[in-house]
Amino acid sequence: MGKVKHFFEQSWLLIVASFCFGLLIAVTNAALSERIEQNRINKRNNLAKGLLPDANNFVPLDVAVEVMSIMGKKELAEIYEATSEDVRVGWIFNAAGSGFQGKIELVVAADADFKELAGFDCIASNETPGIGDLIKEDDFRKQFEGAPAEKLKLVSSGEPTKIDSEIVAISGATVSSGAVVEIIGHYLVQVKQQLQAKGLIEDGK
Amino acid sequence: MASNSEARAGIYGDTFLAGLWRENPVLRLLLGMCPTLAVTAAVKPAFTMGCCVIFVLVCSNIIVSLMRNLLKPHLRILMFTLTISTFVTIADLFLKAYVPRMSEMLGPYVPLIIVNCIIICRAEACASKNGLAVSVIDAIGMGVGFTLTLCVLAGVRELLATGAIFEIQILALQKEGGWFVAWAAMGMPVGAFLTLGLMLGLVNIISKGRT
Repeated sequence: MGKVKHFFEQSWLLIVASFCFGLLIAVTNAALSERIEQNRINKRNNLAKGLLPDANNFVPLDVAVEVMSIMGKKELAEIYEATSEDVRVGWIFNAAGSGFQGKIELVVAADADFKELAGFDCIASNETPGIGDLIKEDDFRKQFEGAPAEKLKLVSSGEPTKIDSEIVAISGATVSSGAVVEIIGHYLVQVKQQLQAKGLIEDGK
Repeated sequence: MASNSEARAGIYGDTFLAGLWRENPVLRLLLGMCPTLAVTAAVKPAFTMGCCVIFVLVCSNIIVSLMRNLLKPHLRILMFTLTISTFVTIADLFLKAYVPRMSEMLGPYVPLIIVNCIIICRAEACASKNGLAVSVIDAIGMGVGFTLTLCVLAGVRELLATGAIFEIQILALQKEGGWFVAWAAMGMPVGAFLTLGLMLGLVNIISKGRT
């Protein structure tokens, strides 16, 4: 009994403060969480709209699609059907992995049949300014527009304007370029297989 | 009576001004180096970081000052950290909700305010030993001193790296037909170290000149 009394004498302030601060954070989070989620959706939709200009609506897929992350962890893929006047014009999915300086989060677009990529854009990345962050520039991103929706390959030299499965690395930023190619390829193959398995797109075989 | 209030006003003024120059957290105490170097590539994120630090400093100093007589010596650091992390989490949520672009630009450096030495230093050195008014004024002085330093550092870096300040183009870039060649290095960590080093040297020269 004496020990319990001593414990509370010493730590009552910590217990009370933890409760009050926890409550404060919970109230703030409850008040702002809806807005934060809306900001995230708006950003993804804006990026997606840039990739698929014909689309005017992005509907989340109503079936759960499980994919393996690059780190080998199972996760639910965020996939959206891009439509215009209720007609499918493409697919959008999120992809993430490690870059040169931390996590790179991408939004990737493919055409309605999932045969060609429509491009990608960065949701978040901390790549080196002026070097690694050139992955966000059109010169690099345009190589993905119209590329076949299959495993992509990074090459150190070549013609960037040629659209095929070979992506020419940014000079001096091979790690960042390679990370983007790996992230897109890794998710693309899995998402395509899952959509084919669920009968949402035609099996190419 | 009048001299008493004058003396108090003098203490408040002195406390506030200490943070701006004599005990400037970045230039004199060399505290908070992580955000100073990491988020000063442009003025907007630097200003946002400064505002977050002012908010956290003021709130944590208020709480620590109010509970200073209840603090057990061996639990005080734990209480400071708990208080600081609460207000950093709230600041982080507000940024995500109302300025999502800045939240993305600052990335992990907002949650890292929890381990910013300036805040725990002021809680320990000032708020746990003084009343509410002095603690709040100290927090504002230190926060404003930190923010101004970050903005000056960021202003120099942004101008030399992009020719702009606050994203407003000041110098005509050569690639757009102007004369100014942007120094990409100033937007990188090397630019932060170089500019901070020069600023510290300048402050030392000015301080020596005064004594």
